[in-house]
Formats: sequence, structure tokens, C-alpha cells
Amino acid sequence: MSNLMKAELFKLRRNKTFIVLMLFIFGLSTLLHSLIVTEWWYMTGTPFELTNLNELNALIFFTVPLFFNFIVSTLAGFFIATEFTQNNAIKNEMISGNKRSQIFIAKYCVFTVGAQITTIVLPLVSAIVVVKLVGTNDVLSAESLIYLGKSYSLFTIHFLSFTAIVLLFAIWTEDSGRTILFTLVLSIAMFLVEKFVTNELVKTIYEHTFFYQFTESFKYTMTDGEIVKSIIIGVVSFILIMLFGIVTFHKKEVK
Amino acid sequence: MTEYILRTNALTKKYKNDYALKNVDVTIKRGEIYGLIGQNGAGKTTMLRLITGLAFPTNGSIELFENNDRREMTAAHKRMGAIIENPALFPNMTAYENLEVQRLQRGIPGRECIEKALKLVGLEGTGKKKVKNFSLGMKQRLGLAIALLSDPEFIILDEPTNGLDPMGIVEMRELLKKLNREKGLTVLISSHILSELYQLATKFGIIHQGQLLEEISAGELNDKCRQYLRIKVDEPAKGVNVLEEKLSAHDFEILSDGTIKLYSYLDDVHLVSRTLTEHGLVIEHLSQNGDSLENYFTKLIGGVENE
Repeated sequence: MSNLMKAELFKLRRNKTFIVLMLFIFGLSTLLHSLIVTEWWYMTGTPFELTNLNELNALIFFTVPLFFNFIVSTLAGFFIATEFTQNNAIKNEMISGNKRSQIFIAKYCVFTVGAQITTIVLPLVSAIVVVKLVGTNDVLSAESLIYLGKSYSLFTIHFLSFTAIVLLFAIWTEDSGRTILFTLVLSIAMFLVEKFVTNELVKTIYEHTFFYQFTESFKYTMTDGEIVKSIIIGVVSFILIMLFGIVTFHKKEVK
Repeated sequence: MTEYILRTNALTKKYKNDYALKNVDVTIKRGEIYGLIGQNGAGKTTMLRLITGLAFPTNGSIELFENNDRREMTAAHKRMGAIIENPALFPNMTAYENLEVQRLQRGIPGRECIEKALKLVGLEGTGKKKVKNFSLGMKQRLGLAIALLSDPEFIILDEPTNGLDPMGIVEMRELLKKLNREKGLTVLISSHILSELYQLATKFGIIHQGQLLEEISAGELNDKCRQYLRIKVDEPAKGVNVLEEKLSAHDFEILSDGTIKLYSYLDDVHLVSRTLTEHGLVIEHLSQNGDSLENYFTKLIGGVENE
């Protein structure tokens, strides 16, 4: 298993899409936060305002599925799906004498690390650096750190389920374009359910998905019960999607 | 006891209503070079995909290294190397980096094996050149290096000479023969180019429309495809003496009906005919016989298609 992880990390480090995404996200986050800190641009209505972290407002972009699905699906498309079609490199991995479940888990872990670096770590680090250098907010106060720690921990738990789904799309479709398209359609569908569906049953079901929990994770006031509920939703979703993914991958025939 | 590297039992693969492979029984012993011959679409690649676990059989079973337990099969794959269809390579990496990925995946300690594999296939000088800039022949060589990286006991090569120039084909053939001879590497190689396999394989499997028509050793195939003069004279014993004494021919067989099969003098039939007649023998029949490999294959396939 560790061999497979090392091989996946080796591939990720040399993946051009990953490098381009990292540069793009780092640049975008730095730019947005610089604009906010220098008061060239104003954003209001974000949960960061409530904790006096208004200079981190631009981070909200990177926590919205409609935005980050592009980052994650692009990485999945050009890191995972291409192995099934463009270069067929998956064949070597399949016949390397490793169990398929281990191959799936190794791919998932490294892909998720890549997705987390681009979606969570880089925007957050660049934002904190910009605010520390030019801003006035105390991003490293105990209160800020507790809020950011709680929010990003919950967000990360739900993000694990999201990357598992996107990985499944990449394996199913075996095509980078379709991986991006399917992920986008899923994100739009969830957005439409959240904004426009009034049916109580559908709403209740939606509120128990990790998609809804992405927004909930950044709520300033979360009770212990809500935090526990959020963790349970994240963990259960993650386990179910991963089991489904492993079974699917076990049955997959490679051309 | 003979050790079997691969045994398939009624191996079948069905896609919707079409059989890609039907009840195929193949046996490969340790040390053999098994040539799988068949036209495009005959089912060769399907069979190799089933053996390597890239696809799953609809029916039948596969035994690798005398083990058919599915969990053990995964471990058996560690003892194998393979190129199925095209070499599976990362185009944005160098040859060395491609091999490094394989080394890590297979958990091979030390990087010496990479240099060794590159040298073995003649790619040691490619340096920082990306694989996307390689010729097809170089990609095939790199594919072979990947398949050989873990020092396998059994290697599966699907049309490995595609894109290789004549010199490259000879080099690959010699390399496989050398590995077979020196390390006892067992090879399963598929091709639709008969002449190519003829010079390499020690056993052949002829596959057509998903069915294995025949398994034949190189010796048996040689006998079937060997050219000879079929001679029938009124006094077979005297005829044999004349051939031996006057033409110094020793490469012949006498069949039970007295027919002589002469494997030499194929280009000088007139000399044979004149010599026999000059010694008072009456020639009842004299003709050149035997199949070329292509003819033999065509007849075999034609026979099936006419059934």
C-alpha cells in the first residue's frame, strides 16, 4: 500500500495540471485578499465577518461547491481519468500485483491530498499571509484560530466525501471532460435543490447530505449537537461512498 | 514434474451476444515461448486481458503458477510482466521516471534495476527526453523495459513489434531468446505476423474467432511446414540407394507405402529425376510438397470457416 502511495505522490508531483492549479489558486487567492485588505474591493455577508475576520472574506469563494468543483474535477480529470484513456497507464498498475482495493485507496488518498492543497491549504495560507503582512485583522488570535480550526476541520471531513464522488466520476467516465461535466452538473443540481426546492422531504434529505454541510461548517454559532451531527453525516457519507467506490473499482474492466 | 505457468480451462468471454473468446484451453509450461497467432479481432488481446486480470471471464478459469485462487492471482501478477495492446506510459515523463513509477508501484528496492532495464532495451541514452517525443519503436522498447523491470518469471507481450524497425524486431527477438535461455523466462507473445513468431516461439496456439483451433509445438509445425520432394519409384529400396550413393542425400524419410520424402535438392528437381532414371528406375510420382507457415495457417482457418 505504501508503495502505491509513493507512486501516486511521484505522479502527482509531476502532474502539470496540479502545478498549474496550485499556481492559479495561490495567485487568485492572493489577489482577492490583497484587493480586500487594501480596500479596493468590498465583500459583505460572509460568516467571517462575525468573527472579525472580514479580511478573509474572499475565502468564501473557495468553500462554495459551485466554485471548488472546477478545481477538484479538473484535477481528477487530468490526474485520474487520463490514466484510463490517454496513456492507459492504469493497466500497469492493475497488473502490478497489488489489490484493486489498495490501488483505489492509494489513488483516493493522493488525489484528495492534491485537491485539499489546491482547494483548502493554498487559499487559506495565502489569505493568512496577506492579512498578516498588510491587513489589520488578528487572524492568529485564539478566537480566530478556534473558529477557523472548527470550520475547516468540518469542511475537510465533508470534502473527503466530495473527492470520493469526483474520483468515482473520473473512473466511471474515463474522460477528463466528462468528469468535469458530471461534477459540475452534480454541484448545480445540489445548488438548485438548496435554493429552489420547497418540498419538505427533499429539503430534509438535502440537509443531511455533505453538500449542505459545506455551508454549515462555516456557521459562527454551531451547537455541540450540530457539530456532532455534521461529523456523523460526513463520516457516514465518506464510508458509504468509499465502499461503493471500492466495489465499483473491483468490477471495472480496463480496455 | 512439469511446472505449468499458465493453464486456462474453458476460458470464455462474452460481450452481450458476441463471444470474444469461447472455451479456450491453453497450457504453457515453464521455459516455453508460446506464440499466440491469430488475425486482428481473433481474440488474442481479450485472452491476454483476462490472464492479466484487466478483464474478467464470463466462464472458465485461469490458473497462474499452478494457482487459481483469486486472491493468490493478485500475488501471481507480481511474478509477471506484460504489455497489453500499447505500452502504457506517461507521456510527460522521461523513460527513467516512467520506470521509477513502476518501481515504486511494485515495491522494488533500489534504483539499479531502472538503469539495468534501460540498458537491456537500449534506451540508456534518452536522458531528459520526454516519452511524448519518443518514436513508436522507442515506446515499445520502454514498454518492454517496464515489463522486465521486476525480473519476472513470465512475460506477456501483445504485438510487441508494432512500430519497430527491422533491426528493432531482430533485437527484441534476440533479447527474448536470451532471457528465455539464460533466465528461463517464460514468454507468451501474440502477433498476427506469422514469420515473426515462427522464428521465436517454441509452441504455438492458433486462435480464430475466439476459439483455439490448435496447439502445436515448433517441431511439429516445422514438420508440417517443411518443404520436401515426394518421390515414388517402382523400386523404393534401389531408389534410396541411388539417392544416398549418387547424390549423397541423407535427409529423407521412407513412408510405409514406399514413398520417399526427400528434404534436400528442392532447387534441383531435374538432377534428382535424371539420376533416378539413369539408374533404371521408373518414376511414378515426383512433386514438391509441404506448406509455408502462411498456407498452413490459412488452411486451418479456412477449414473452420468452411465448416
